[in-house]
Amino acid sequence: MEKGSVVWHANKLVLAHFWVAFVAFLGAIFLGEWQMFVRSPLAAWVNNPEHYYRSVTAHGTVMAYVLPTLVAMGFGYAIVELALKKPLIGLRWAWAGFWLVMAGTAMAAVTMALGKASVLYTFYPPMIGSSFYYLGVVLVVVGSWIWVALMSINLRAWKRDNPGASVPLAMFGNVAGAYLWAWTSVGAAVEILVLILPASLGFTDTINAGLARVFFSWTLHAIVYFWLMPAYIAFYTLVPRAIGGRLYSDSMARVAFVLFLVFSMPIGIHHLFADPQVGAGFKFVHAAMTAMVSVPTLLTVFTIVASVEIAGRLRGGKGLFGWVKALPWDNPMMLAVTFSFIMLGFGGAGGIINMSYQLNETVHNTQWVTGHFHLIFAGAIVIMYFMVAYELWPQLTGCGPLPRHLMKVQLWLWFVGMMVLSMPWHLVGLLGMPRRMAYYDYTHPDIQSQAWTVIASTIGGLLLVISAVILVYILAMAHRRKNAASLLEPFTFSRTAHPSHTPALLNTFGIWVAMMIGLTVVNYGYPIAQLAMLKEASVPVIPIGSRQ
Amino acid sequence: MSERDVYSWRNAWFRRSVVSLILLTVGAFLVGFIWLPSVHGDFTAQGLWASICQAAGVPTTWSAKGPPVKPQPQSTHVVLERAMVRASTSDSVGRGATLALNCTMCHGAQGISSSDSPNLAGQYPEVIIKQLRDYTQGKRTHSVMEAFARNLSERDINDLAAYYAYLPKARIGPTTYDEKLPALVRVGDPMRNIAPCISCHGGIDQKLGTPWLEGMPKSYLVAQLEAFRTSTRRNDSQGQMRNMVRAMTDTEIQEVSAFYARKAGASQER
Repeated sequence: MEKGSVVWHANKLVLAHFWVAFVAFLGAIFLGEWQMFVRSPLAAWVNNPEHYYRSVTAHGTVMAYVLPTLVAMGFGYAIVELALKKPLIGLRWAWAGFWLVMAGTAMAAVTMALGKASVLYTFYPPMIGSSFYYLGVVLVVVGSWIWVALMSINLRAWKRDNPGASVPLAMFGNVAGAYLWAWTSVGAAVEILVLILPASLGFTDTINAGLARVFFSWTLHAIVYFWLMPAYIAFYTLVPRAIGGRLYSDSMARVAFVLFLVFSMPIGIHHLFADPQVGAGFKFVHAAMTAMVSVPTLLTVFTIVASVEIAGRLRGGKGLFGWVKALPWDNPMMLAVTFSFIMLGFGGAGGIINMSYQLNETVHNTQWVTGHFHLIFAGAIVIMYFMVAYELWPQLTGCGPLPRHLMKVQLWLWFVGMMVLSMPWHLVGLLGMPRRMAYYDYTHPDIQSQAWTVIASTIGGLLLVISAVILVYILAMAHRRKNAASLLEPFTFSRTAHPSHTPALLNTFGIWVAMMIGLTVVNYGYPIAQLAMLKEASVPVIPIGSRQ
Repeated sequence: MSERDVYSWRNAWFRRSVVSLILLTVGAFLVGFIWLPSVHGDFTAQGLWASICQAAGVPTTWSAKGPPVKPQPQSTHVVLERAMVRASTSDSVGRGATLALNCTMCHGAQGISSSDSPNLAGQYPEVIIKQLRDYTQGKRTHSVMEAFARNLSERDINDLAAYYAYLPKARIGPTTYDEKLPALVRVGDPMRNIAPCISCHGGIDQKLGTPWLEGMPKSYLVAQLEAFRTSTRRNDSQGQMRNMVRAMTDTEIQEVSAFYARKAGASQER
């Protein structure tokens, strides 16, 4: 283990995070497929629509809160040890954070399973579920705040020991993600602690639903970029190395990370385009800033494609497109990044439609939206979560190389499954099919012609289930092969193509965090203050599942 | 470069970052609050400042001289609050029992009617409160009930609600979803915008202010559904019952009423 490889102090911690994340993910994906199946023409209508919404709540809560939070946390701890090459400071605290997340997940899971919180993961006040559900979500978030603090502390300690040195790129992205999450989660935390819990605990019978929705929008969009950070870190620091290329530009990566920090926060009101309680002026400003957040993604696509081109040319590819052919197409990482970019392309184009104030009207609350976020998150991002696990697993378990063929089958299934799942959703969304429906009446002539799309999505979902099972199988079997540890190659991150000098401003976070907070105050300050003072905005709560 | 030099106006990176962010923000606000509203008549009618306020979402009236539209008659003045459900004292139940002696002729000595009036035993308290208040305020009409309700104080109403909620429920088989339920009760009819009965009246969820129906006299249920359909009864605050029933056929009204009436068992069937 000595020759340059990392002496792991936190491998059990990282493994625990990833395992809980993927086991929860596996459960939630079965729920997702069941939801697709029961509302397709293949099954009779679900007898109790509440079961459908219970399942949607569980699917969303696991996929949106539990899976990405645990992956970001686990990957973050791994990055500290792999990139900073020093033991994680605060290992006990990290475990405490993990157990908080576990406790919160268990608490929310039991409450959801009992049908006491079928309010969907976006809460939707004035619907109010059981307090235990919200407290569970709060525990997950508080657990993740410990991670945020530890990332900051570890970075500071490293900077103190290495004055003037540029922070390794993986750690820079990791801490950017942590700071983004810390500020992002404040919106939902305020919504739960100040507005929802008092209503849920029975202290008040009314709730300021408009304000609650504005607070949730604070979290709802930026959370996507928190989900995305591990994938982008993988793009920049794992992909070029894994396919034998060089990272085209280290500074460009840092620019992308800080742009996410600045612009992903103050844009959430584009989720409220149809909400009358927010002014049209603020809706426009948020739409314009949402357009800005596509800039770091475009920068990333450019940089990574350039890095991949370097790999192609290093392997002897010539000419305008010859390098594409020369790429290592049998390498799972090559496949994953290709699939991820294709899904990011479609999903991103759809996202630009969603954020346009006018175009949004045509797709608002339709299946289009479901298609969009599945392509971006479950497609482009989660496929990179798989790759992060595949990259870390040999290091964490000492299992030697993972079975490449099976990995490629898994990635293909995920890609094809996700396209087959989400493309029909886009289509019928344009035709007006509403989302969040427990059943559709296919006997109606207007709907009958769309029935095939739901069957197609069900088949896509089935491919995803198979892919998820293979993922868990590959990761589980690795634990049974610990003999290859001595052959372990030291873990490395991508090297850059050119020796680079990091501008001082891109080696620090102060200004970007200040911009993030400042822009939030400018873009959210007035809508929040105005709604908070508006007495008429309070409406009676609608308790869900309190009497059955 | 020391930390202080980084955050200095002399550092071109710092300067450009801050200036471009400010320019972008100011630009977006100018477009969103001045330029776009300026091309829209509704926004510009009252000058620049009013148009900015409107773009910011300040609540306004469209016309300075009072509301141009006459306020619509409200279907009910009762706002359902969870406080109406909270456990009541035995004192309250006792007073309610005394007051309820007035009601026994139609609603039965134990709140189980033998005269095609609704059963009240075990009814949710907020349901009784809402209906009685609607009667006192003329939002629900019934020659007998309006006369009785007119003299009830707020406290009387709360006590009556406490008493009836305290009595054992008449329904012997609460509706739980199962595949044998009639389709309208179980899944509604989405294409006609008819929600399933059990999504509000118990079975899937029991919404605040919604009565339990099991064992109610069939003729009472049919009469109420027909009253909702013709809007003779319109004290459902969001029009939810009127909207459900309007799309239903006579046969369907008979079916769901028979279903709920039968739930009390054969002896109660009418």
